[in-house]
Amino acid sequence: MARRTIGLIRRLGLPERLLAVLVLVLIVDFAISSYLFERENSFELRLDDAERIAENLVMATRTLERAPVVERNHVAATLSTVRFRYYLTPPDGSERRSLGLEGLRAQVLAFEPELAAGGLELHLERLSSHHNIAGSIRLADRSILRFQTHANTAWTLTIGRVVSLVLPTLLLIAVGWVLLRATLKPLRDLIAATRHLGAGPPQPVPERGPDELRSLIRALNEMQQRIYASLADRTQTMLAIGHDLKTPLSRMRLRLDDDSVDPEIREGLSHDIEEMLQLLNSIQAYVESDGRSIQEERIDIAVMAETLVDTVADHGGDAVYVGLGNLEVRARPVSIRRALSNLIENAIHYGGNARVNVRRVDGAAEITVEDDGPGIPEARIADALQPFVRLDTARARDTAGMGLGLAIVRKAVKAENGSLTLCNRPGGGLKATIRLALPSQ
Amino acid sequence: MTSPHTILLVEDDGALRTLTARALRQSGFHVLTAATGAEMWITLRESTIDLIVMDIMLPGTSGLDLFRRLRRESDVPIIFASARSSEEDRVLGLELGADDYISKPFSTRELAARVSAVLRRGASSPEYGEIGSDGRPPDLIHFDGWQVSLARRELRTATGAIVDLTGAEFDLLITFLGYPQRVLGRERLMELSRSRIGDSSDRSIDVLVSRLRRKLQAGGCDAPIVTVRGVGYMFKADVKRG
Repeated sequence: MARRTIGLIRRLGLPERLLAVLVLVLIVDFAISSYLFERENSFELRLDDAERIAENLVMATRTLERAPVVERNHVAATLSTVRFRYYLTPPDGSERRSLGLEGLRAQVLAFEPELAAGGLELHLERLSSHHNIAGSIRLADRSILRFQTHANTAWTLTIGRVVSLVLPTLLLIAVGWVLLRATLKPLRDLIAATRHLGAGPPQPVPERGPDELRSLIRALNEMQQRIYASLADRTQTMLAIGHDLKTPLSRMRLRLDDDSVDPEIREGLSHDIEEMLQLLNSIQAYVESDGRSIQEERIDIAVMAETLVDTVADHGGDAVYVGLGNLEVRARPVSIRRALSNLIENAIHYGGNARVNVRRVDGAAEITVEDDGPGIPEARIADALQPFVRLDTARARDTAGMGLGLAIVRKAVKAENGSLTLCNRPGGGLKATIRLALPSQ
Repeated sequence: MTSPHTILLVEDDGALRTLTARALRQSGFHVLTAATGAEMWITLRESTIDLIVMDIMLPGTSGLDLFRRLRRESDVPIIFASARSSEEDRVLGLELGADDYISKPFSTRELAARVSAVLRRGASSPEYGEIGSDGRPPDLIHFDGWQVSLARRELRTATGAIVDLTGAEFDLLITFLGYPQRVLGRERLMELSRSRIGDSSDRSIDVLVSRLRRKLQAGGCDAPIVTVRGVGYMFKADVKRG
């Protein structure tokens, strides 16, 4: 129970918590002030009632005790008014006890001490009754005088009074809520901006709101700049390394063409150079795959997919194309071509075959690449999309590259505002799906 | 045998320059070298050069600037060499008028093949037809609403969409475009297509033609390639250059 409450509190947002504090403060304030007010107020009112009850009772007991016994019922009826009714009952010998209303009884006796001799008893009547206070007192001949009266209603809390006290509080809470939300809006903007952080060039969040928030926003904007600069720096470094390594690689390759090199060594080294080149090229492809510097063009994605499949099939790969003949989209041709090519190569490499389909689905182009291989463990699908992650650690050297294949695909598809999903097919094998928006006609 | 072609190699890395020059000499070319743009201009003034192989990342003047000036002042065929191997560089180089692009590192065989192909194209280019106003063959070819860019090696539909072709398919299309309304036998097509770049495909001409036809059917039109039974194929559409 306590844990659930803590959980609930933890789920509350900042404005909700501040509001809760406000509400709590107001409730305590309301409770204290109304308690003090009621105490003061009801005391005064009870004093009025006590005085009236005391006077009436004294006069009635004195009058009745002087009247002949046979006429007492008649006299009691005569003394009764709308607000104060009397009637007599024979003595019953029971103990006179006051039930509740001790305060009122004490006040009444303070006004008229002689009533104490008669054993004044007071109690609250049932709510349905017209009168709300009733009581009895013993006369000198031990007969009982009963009375009913109507005390002032103000000293009990009524709904109307509660509403009149609570309404301003509710209004205050409402105003407080609106103001809190307005104050916290810059914070919400900041949170939204933080979500997109690092996904592109820095987008400064406007500095608004209270001082603390302003400095937080300023710090975040500065951080954005630093992240962007360091990413750009990393990109440049990677490209520079790639570029600079190619000159020595060029020399090595040309040196190998010398006739004096043993053919076996030449073949081995050529293979090594080729592998190094693939690594460098995949880094370059990854860095460039967001395609920021390349123009978007109309491309026939169906023909592109089919051409890639044909090329793989021509080199002996088990690839088939089963999609549309033509489908035009707007995209950066180089990066999308590389993305499709990576998916097909992955399918061939890990799954043994590739089945490529291009369809038009709900106003979007959907390109799927399926294989009949082992698929990817569900838990590792997200990992597969991360750069520099290779799933086949056990036989890592079996595959060239740096685990950038799918990361390149994801980056390229993201640059086109498209989506990439990977899933294991029910029948076994992996299915990669790219969705791209179709250009408006 | 005719006298060997003279190649000017512009490369800033000393060791690589020596190695590349040796590779070209082994392939039977006469090679001159230059380490900078300034040296290149001197050599160009003093000797007759048949082809330039140039690294675009030269220090001093940027390789691209040097290249632009060279293109303005001379018609010498140029092969771009770059370590960046990025698609943008390749397209930019070709659009600026380079005759071919080779990415580092390259092998002796690859370099020799490219150089030979460009020299052969320069010597006899029947399929290019007339020469454009800038003294070079026009880059764009139009037929049936389609557009082909030779520099970018690109085929586009009437709506401007890029239609991918494999290297062999593109070479086959260019061959057809060089001989419109003429019946070409399979062997002749194979020979003409392959001579362009040396990229060999195991696929038969029939397979390549059927793929090209399928791609040229976009928009529901008939592909402009007709089969001439027992002889070969004919490209029937009108071809416009420029």
